[in-house]
Amino acid sequence: MTKAGMIQPGLTKTGMIDFRGVNKWFGALNVLRDITLSVEPREVVVVCGPSGSGKSTLIRCINGLETIKDGDLVVDGQRVGDPATNMTQLRTEIGFVFQSFNLYPHKTALENVTLAPIHVRKIPRAEAEHAGRELLAKVGLADKVNAYPAQLSGGQQQRVAIARCLGMRPKIMLFDEPTSALDPEMISEVLDVMVAVAEEGMTMMVVTHEMGFARKVAQRVVFMDAGAIVESGTPDEFFSHPKTDRSRAFLSKILRH
Amino acid sequence: MIWQQFLSLAGSYPLALRGLGMTVVLSLISLVLGTLLGFGLGILRTGGNRLISSIIGAWVDLIRGTPFLVQIFLIFFILPEFGIELDAFTAGIIALTNLAACFICEIVAAGIRSVPTGQVEAALASGLSRWQRMRQVVLPQAMRIVLPPLVGQYVLLIKDSSVVSAIGLTDLTRVGWLVVQRVPNGLLVFFLVGVGYFIVCYPLIMLARRLERRMGAAHGEVQL
Repeated sequence: MTKAGMIQPGLTKTGMIDFRGVNKWFGALNVLRDITLSVEPREVVVVCGPSGSGKSTLIRCINGLETIKDGDLVVDGQRVGDPATNMTQLRTEIGFVFQSFNLYPHKTALENVTLAPIHVRKIPRAEAEHAGRELLAKVGLADKVNAYPAQLSGGQQQRVAIARCLGMRPKIMLFDEPTSALDPEMISEVLDVMVAVAEEGMTMMVVTHEMGFARKVAQRVVFMDAGAIVESGTPDEFFSHPKTDRSRAFLSKILRH
Repeated sequence: MIWQQFLSLAGSYPLALRGLGMTVVLSLISLVLGTLLGFGLGILRTGGNRLISSIIGAWVDLIRGTPFLVQIFLIFFILPEFGIELDAFTAGIIALTNLAACFICEIVAAGIRSVPTGQVEAALASGLSRWQRMRQVVLPQAMRIVLPPLVGQYVLLIKDSSVVSAIGLTDLTRVGWLVVQRVPNGLLVFFLVGVGYFIVCYPLIMLARRLERRMGAAHGEVQL
């Protein structure tokens, strides 16, 4: 084996999502500090940390809802923020579930799910609607196909939002505190859907404090504080044996009740 | 005496119809053109480009901050000095279209700004192009905010079209001036002119109400 033929690990090994020394500032505030993180295909990574720690900003960078200041961010082999990268195209491969659902209020559940497949993927309407009905059935909303978002509960809206993302058949799904805006009794119906998506082998990054979910499906938990990744490990390692004072302090707060 | 005046007024009805026709045609053409232009300007006004946005903003302020009569005089009497000769009808259409576009631009821009950022982000995240985001997500939601003041603006613009009588177009208002010279009862004549405008405007007011109700229903709101 010659030296030239050797491939240096870490340089060519690219995950589905690859942060390499990423920094971002909001004015003088360093919201992302030197983030290096690689998410493998089919991996589920849970991101947690106190509010204002940069978790949402981190995943919003992945589909370009936020721009990064320096460092490299490579998603599905394409460099985010590079003028040569077609971000609109890349976004079709990335589903994004918002804390506040952001369903289109003027469209029915089915229309919410079929809008992007019809207009972006150019799938014939009938076919898209058939797929949309199946997806809504899959998230347990077969009877709400023609309901408008205002007629649905928060948990139902969030499940439509997940179906809307799945309709694009994305390679990656990002969840930004998907259950934080929900009443407690609706959280599990959304988490159940997320577990099902994870079990089908979706690459996922989930900002959440739902430890049950993390233990069940996550391969890794990443703990952020003040814009930096402080600790990362398997859910069991992280929740049972946190290594840093900051993660211990954080866990004692969310575990108290 | 009133009866006599009525009879001689009845004889003027072909003129009155012509005036009404002129008012309707002027308003219709300039409202359609002004709406198209106004939506275009409103979309550009809220688009990313600062320079374009501030140029449009300055123009809109200028037009909104000067009397329409002055604008129409500038177009009809001053432009010919620079070699641009326009007949009264064209000048009237241009002035009214410009006025409509400027008011509608601000209404549309306000409607677009009222759509929550999360909606745009959701559309962005699902890979919709700039035009698709506008067409499928932003504009339909902005329309709820835009529609009532838009139709209200139409009514105002139809009434503003009476100013074109100043450059000699025989619209409804000018017909009033012509008739009142023959039938010296200004109260009666201009009451009828007012009725003429009302007949044109009232269906629009009704339309606005219907559309508002329909937009509400399309959002799945409970109807009372």
